[in-house]
Amino acid sequence: MSRSYDRALTVFSPDGHLFQVEYALEAVRKGTCAVGVRGKDVVVLGVEKKSVLQLQDPRTVRKVAMLDDHICLAFAGLTADGRVLIDKARIECQSHRLTVEDPVTVEYITRHIAGIQQRYTQSGGVRPFGISTLIVGFDPNDTKPHLYMTEPSGIYSAWKANAIGRSSKTVREFLEKNHKDDLSREESIKLAVKSLLEVVQTGAKNIEISVMESYGKITNLDLAQIEAIVSEIEKEKEAEAERKRSRLAATAAGQASMTSRATEGTSGQ
Amino acid sequence: MSRRYDSRTTIFSPEGRLYQIEYAMEAISHAGTVLGVLAKDGVVLAAEKKVTGKLLDLSGAKEGGYGGSGEKIFLLNSNVIGGVAGLTADANSLINYARSAAQQHLLQYNEDIPVELLAQRLCDMKQGYTQYGGLRPFGVSLLYAGYDQQHQFQLYHSDPSGNYSGWKATCIGANNGTAQSLLKQEYKDDIEVKAAISLVLKTMSKTMDSTTLGSEKLEFAVITLDPETNLPKAKIYKPDEIDELLQAEGLSKKEDDNAMKS
Amino acid sequence: METSFALTGKGYVIVASDTTAARSIVKMKTDEDKIKVVSPHLLMSYSGEPGDTIQFAEYVERNLRLFHIRNNYSLRPSAAASWIRRSLAQSLRSRKPYSVNLMLGGYDVTIDSPHLYWIDYLGTMTEVPFGAHGYGSYFALSLLDRYVLSYISSKANTHFFLFTYRYHDPEATLQEGLATLKRCIDEVAKRLVVSPGKYKVKVVDKDGAREIEL
Repeated sequence: MSRSYDRALTVFSPDGHLFQVEYALEAVRKGTCAVGVRGKDVVVLGVEKKSVLQLQDPRTVRKVAMLDDHICLAFAGLTADGRVLIDKARIECQSHRLTVEDPVTVEYITRHIAGIQQRYTQSGGVRPFGISTLIVGFDPNDTKPHLYMTEPSGIYSAWKANAIGRSSKTVREFLEKNHKDDLSREESIKLAVKSLLEVVQTGAKNIEISVMESYGKITNLDLAQIEAIVSEIEKEKEAEAERKRSRLAATAAGQASMTSRATEGTSGQ
Repeated sequence: MSRRYDSRTTIFSPEGRLYQIEYAMEAISHAGTVLGVLAKDGVVLAAEKKVTGKLLDLSGAKEGGYGGSGEKIFLLNSNVIGGVAGLTADANSLINYARSAAQQHLLQYNEDIPVELLAQRLCDMKQGYTQYGGLRPFGVSLLYAGYDQQHQFQLYHSDPSGNYSGWKATCIGANNGTAQSLLKQEYKDDIEVKAAISLVLKTMSKTMDSTTLGSEKLEFAVITLDPETNLPKAKIYKPDEIDELLQAEGLSKKEDDNAMKS
Repeated sequence: METSFALTGKGYVIVASDTTAARSIVKMKTDEDKIKVVSPHLLMSYSGEPGDTIQFAEYVERNLRLFHIRNNYSLRPSAAASWIRRSLAQSLRSRKPYSVNLMLGGYDVTIDSPHLYWIDYLGTMTEVPFGAHGYGSYFALSLLDRYVLSYISSKANTHFFLFTYRYHDPEATLQEGLATLKRCIDEVAKRLVVSPGKYKVKVVDKDGAREIEL
């Protein structure tokens, strides 16, 4: 009984923790990585895709789901939980249209999803959802892209760029360093791929990219396109490394010549 | 009161794992093997029976029903057959649920339930049992073999967590690793039902614990399209039909073994 | 008075509905669209109790959309029709039933064929080659109907029954189909005391649903 506070969610631990929520976040950190990048008038979702096994049907292995015509969601964590939460969100999207005739806004559906997640941290007899989500989209009659994140606790927040799942901390730090405001379409895609490459060692075949450019306009990049971007990034990295190496060599040479001159000087004396 | 709904079953471990699901999966990896292969013109399922014995009365299976002895392979709907691995009692209740879900769909839409939708319905239920209090997960994995207009022949696998995925060939239960790698080597993309049947039986014979295959250890089913009506036709083999099939494939047990039995 | 027609042809379904919104004997509006595109290959015309009609049509639309977004494909016309019929039948047995009559025209992309369903507020459904609701149906149906020519061959002294459509032809081109529709509309305009003025016409075929100017 003394350990019961980390079993029953309705109870805080003596030092003020809700352990199940924290443990659920651990489940998220075990999930595959997903990143979202908001550009000037585009928003990009990139996900790390587990390798599809040779005999598996790739159609059934999906990480990015459409909630409505204009909203897209990627999640990290327990897949089955994700499927159930996505279904709840989809129903809300249509139900919202039915009641007020307007499509949901990105913020609205995010708030709704976060609300569901929160309920599962407080009501009796349920465990929290073991997933974090990234929600992207455009509001109706608006050209501004949106990117939100929700967590098992029910927190939601808007972002310029963010990552969830495996090694999300590394990726987030990378994004913090490299994200600029008003990225173009190509720059946004590239940043998404680049940041994913921080954790995905196997390259293009384990990356999935969805680009949303305006209300209802969404494209999924095919493997060839992603490969092209990956090789471009690799080339840049090589060039950068090359430059560094030559600079190093130059300084080394400079130093060497200086020391040799110095020795010459001494010998001359 | 606060512990009324609480139980170990539905909660995360400090590392963010759901042990009960992992244990359920462990239970399944000791269960009788179920193997499915998707072909161009049909799907083949085979399963290893664990409840055997000299005195087991299988006369019911010989006469009535859809064939099969009711342990591993079931007709879920006219267009879907299911193979189960895990706790048989859990499986029975899931099969019951699947059948009524399929009929509900038929009642609502006047068409057979799409295979993926049926798998989803079951997975939603399974997922619920991992999240709501006082419940333990279902200790059952299933293979669904079926046909629908949208995606033609399909093969799905679902596990206790409520995950599912589509496959060309897959295996659940004991020795599934060996079977999986055998299938990976042997499977060809444009395989036809006839070849798929041999592939399934061959793989089965290699992975099963016993040295000989026979109807008392095996359940077998095929779903194809009826060439006349163009509708899916599920056939769950009866014991003597399985023996016939094994004979034809040259995998049946040795003659003297038979003689001893008779 | 409210009138809607629909007819099938070779690879398409035409659905037409008048555009009046009336209350008692007063016309409130003459450009009301009473045909909803409920999914990419499915049209639904609705008539009956105003308010109920729109409420129900939107309910149908949202549910079909939900199915689409969940499964990444649309319900086939036959399945959608069954679902809609069932909804009406359930509603009929509730405390406040919908009073809505429907013509549901769709193109089944999985088997490449057009389908038309006649559904009324009692939950009656039947698949038809053509159909109509409202007072206009009394004129249009006889125009389109199938009738029997019976020949008695004098030589063999045998009966032949020949079934022919008067004007409707399930193999007609879209042009011909629209001409037949025009006949129905003209007939109603000519004979019905309270005939509606304008019609909206929509067609659905393999390319989806679209509106057509008559």
